[in-house]
Amino acid sequence: MTKVLVVDDDAALVKALRIGLTARGDEVATAQSGTDGIAQVALFRPDLVILDLGLPDLDGLEVCRRIREFSDVPVIVLSAYGDERRKVEALDGGADDFITKPFGMAELEARLRVAVRHSAARTGNGTEASATLRVGDLEIDMVHHMATRNGLAIALTSREFELLAYLARYAGKVCTHHMILKDVWGPGYGAESNYVRVYTHRLRKKLHDDEGRLLRTVPGIGYQLVADAATPQQETQ
Amino acid sequence: MPSLQAFNGTYRRAAVGTSAALAAQGVLLAVLLPFRSHLSIATPALVFLVPVIIGVVVGGFWAGAVAAVVGFLFFDIFFLPPYGTLTVHAPANWLALLVYLIVVLVVTRVVTQLHAARDEARRREQDAGRLFELSQALIGDIGISELLDHIVTTVQTAFSPRWTALLLPAAALAAGGAGPDLRVAARAGQELTADELTSLTAGGGQIRSLGRDRGGSPSRVAVALVASNRPVGLLVLQEVQFARQDRALLGTFANQAALAVERAQLQEQVLRTRLLEEIDRWRGAMMGAVSHDLRTPLASVKAAVSSLRQDGTALSDVDRADLLELIELQSDRLARLVTNLLDMTRIESGALAVRPTLMPLDELVDESLAAVSGLVPRDRVHLDAASDLPLLEIDHVLVGQVLANLLENAARLSPDGSPIRIRARSIGTPAVPFVEISVADEGPGIAAEERERVFEMFSQNGGGARSGLGLAIAKAFVEAHGGTIWIDPAVTRGARVVFTVPALGNVAQHA
Repeated sequence: MTKVLVVDDDAALVKALRIGLTARGDEVATAQSGTDGIAQVALFRPDLVILDLGLPDLDGLEVCRRIREFSDVPVIVLSAYGDERRKVEALDGGADDFITKPFGMAELEARLRVAVRHSAARTGNGTEASATLRVGDLEIDMVHHMATRNGLAIALTSREFELLAYLARYAGKVCTHHMILKDVWGPGYGAESNYVRVYTHRLRKKLHDDEGRLLRTVPGIGYQLVADAATPQQETQ
Repeated sequence: MPSLQAFNGTYRRAAVGTSAALAAQGVLLAVLLPFRSHLSIATPALVFLVPVIIGVVVGGFWAGAVAAVVGFLFFDIFFLPPYGTLTVHAPANWLALLVYLIVVLVVTRVVTQLHAARDEARRREQDAGRLFELSQALIGDIGISELLDHIVTTVQTAFSPRWTALLLPAAALAAGGAGPDLRVAARAGQELTADELTSLTAGGGQIRSLGRDRGGSPSRVAVALVASNRPVGLLVLQEVQFARQDRALLGTFANQAALAVERAQLQEQVLRTRLLEEIDRWRGAMMGAVSHDLRTPLASVKAAVSSLRQDGTALSDVDRADLLELIELQSDRLARLVTNLLDMTRIESGALAVRPTLMPLDELVDESLAAVSGLVPRDRVHLDAASDLPLLEIDHVLVGQVLANLLENAARLSPDGSPIRIRARSIGTPAVPFVEISVADEGPGIAAEERERVFEMFSQNGGGARSGLGLAIAKAFVEAHGGTIWIDPAVTRGARVVFTVPALGNVAQHA
């Protein structure tokens, strides 16, 4: 059972989500304004927040930032088609993933599960996180700078390793080009998204992940390291 | 070709000068003749210089020349012995005659030149003055049509042809390209005859005559207006009489006019471009708002439907019914949006026609509630109207739409089950009776700074609550009735939208 908080000002959508998610066995709380949403994060302590970017009182981005000030709860942002800039801003501001309206419940459920699992993994192995990161069959030894997949060692340059380690640390979260450049390449970088493209391409070759199922491309936004390559629909059955 | 007027002027002046000179000579002859035996030969020679100078000054060179010849003859015949003949005896007298002739010729020449120089200076001064007046008209910041009018009137006053016409390429008048066809853009003076018009505006392939009319009457002068090596237009003066210098003056003015016209055209182009940009920007905002408004109900419909279709979920019968109801309501909402979109298109295209009929308020409310039946539960709506409220004189389709939009907003934005109040009262004067109708809800209300903006087409307050078309359409429809619509600033809890519509005056009181 997952505790989900839905923050959206459209009563109809909130109602549809509440019924749909409850029927799947989730526990659902709702908020129709940004301020209420922030309060609910503190009171209800959800495992996941579904946050609409267009709220009547506070901007969704602001809500996301304020939640991040006191909570690591995964946030999935609801956005309109064509709103790429705000999507990227939300992800840079701490959101984990986004979903474009209108969406089906299965897709939402899949995104929800990915976000919750990785967040649990991040907090769950908090003590050993600094030493070894595990994402599915991928294992990253931070001490010896070594990566293995299915027990087989992968030869990586130091930049490739850093990129993989970074994505693994934020497994499940959509990392924007900007975030990756700033944190892996350094503060002087931010606009050179083709560097990231080149390195992810090399990483996929070495990980034998040519289709990008482990290292997912989020078109126009960035990349996401996802533990299981299975599609969400298959999982549900 | 010096114009006839100028030609006549020259002749008249010469004739006047000659007559004056001859008259003076006659008078002087009559005065001197009795004393000729007492005078030295130098005296008449000097005296006869006077009429020559008069002739030159008044009548120009030729008048002076005639006066000189006559003076020569008078001097020779009447004052040099033997009197009465052209014969001259004394060699000294020959000398006197020769000196007289030379002096007369030199004086005539010098005076003529001085005279011409003075005339030239005066004319230049006049030209400068006229050109200043002409160009004065061109420098003001006026629209293109005013400018064209200004040009032709100025030319008409300055040169007094029968008429003046300014022709521009037809395409330039319409959109701003270049085309072969000329159109009369402005004219002054007498009306153009049909023939004249045809001869000016003949299209491609037709022969256009700008020369003399048949019969060779003094005719048309056409000056091309050229700016930046590009023809801008054509200035045509019909039956104009020109002095030589007028031509240069008109030419100079035409150049200035060309620059002014070009500048005005460029300015218009800039304005047009800016307008197009504005329309583009507006269209972008509209598309954003429309897609937002359409997507919102779609999102909940899709979420609900995908829940219903999913196997393996434990939807209770109540949940199922709830979701189905939600889908129906959201479909209604979508339908309302589409209606509003169509209404908006009607407003935009200017096809909005108000067809007023008489209708009581409660009937109007019923009609509106029927239109939003799914979205606004009847039991939430409370009607509070004075019993003596006059009949509304309105297009019930349009005002019904206004009320429906306000009710829908109120229901959507306030807590479930909270009351929505419709109030109505009579305002205005017996001569101009109006009814004020308001819809109040108990929702979050509208911030003071938003109260104007909510009525703008596609005002998006951060993707927030009252975005979209409803209020903008309400405003357009209310204003089409001569009414006004506003948000009541005095209300602190919820929102109260107020609008006024015309009512029937005295009849209602009899009823």
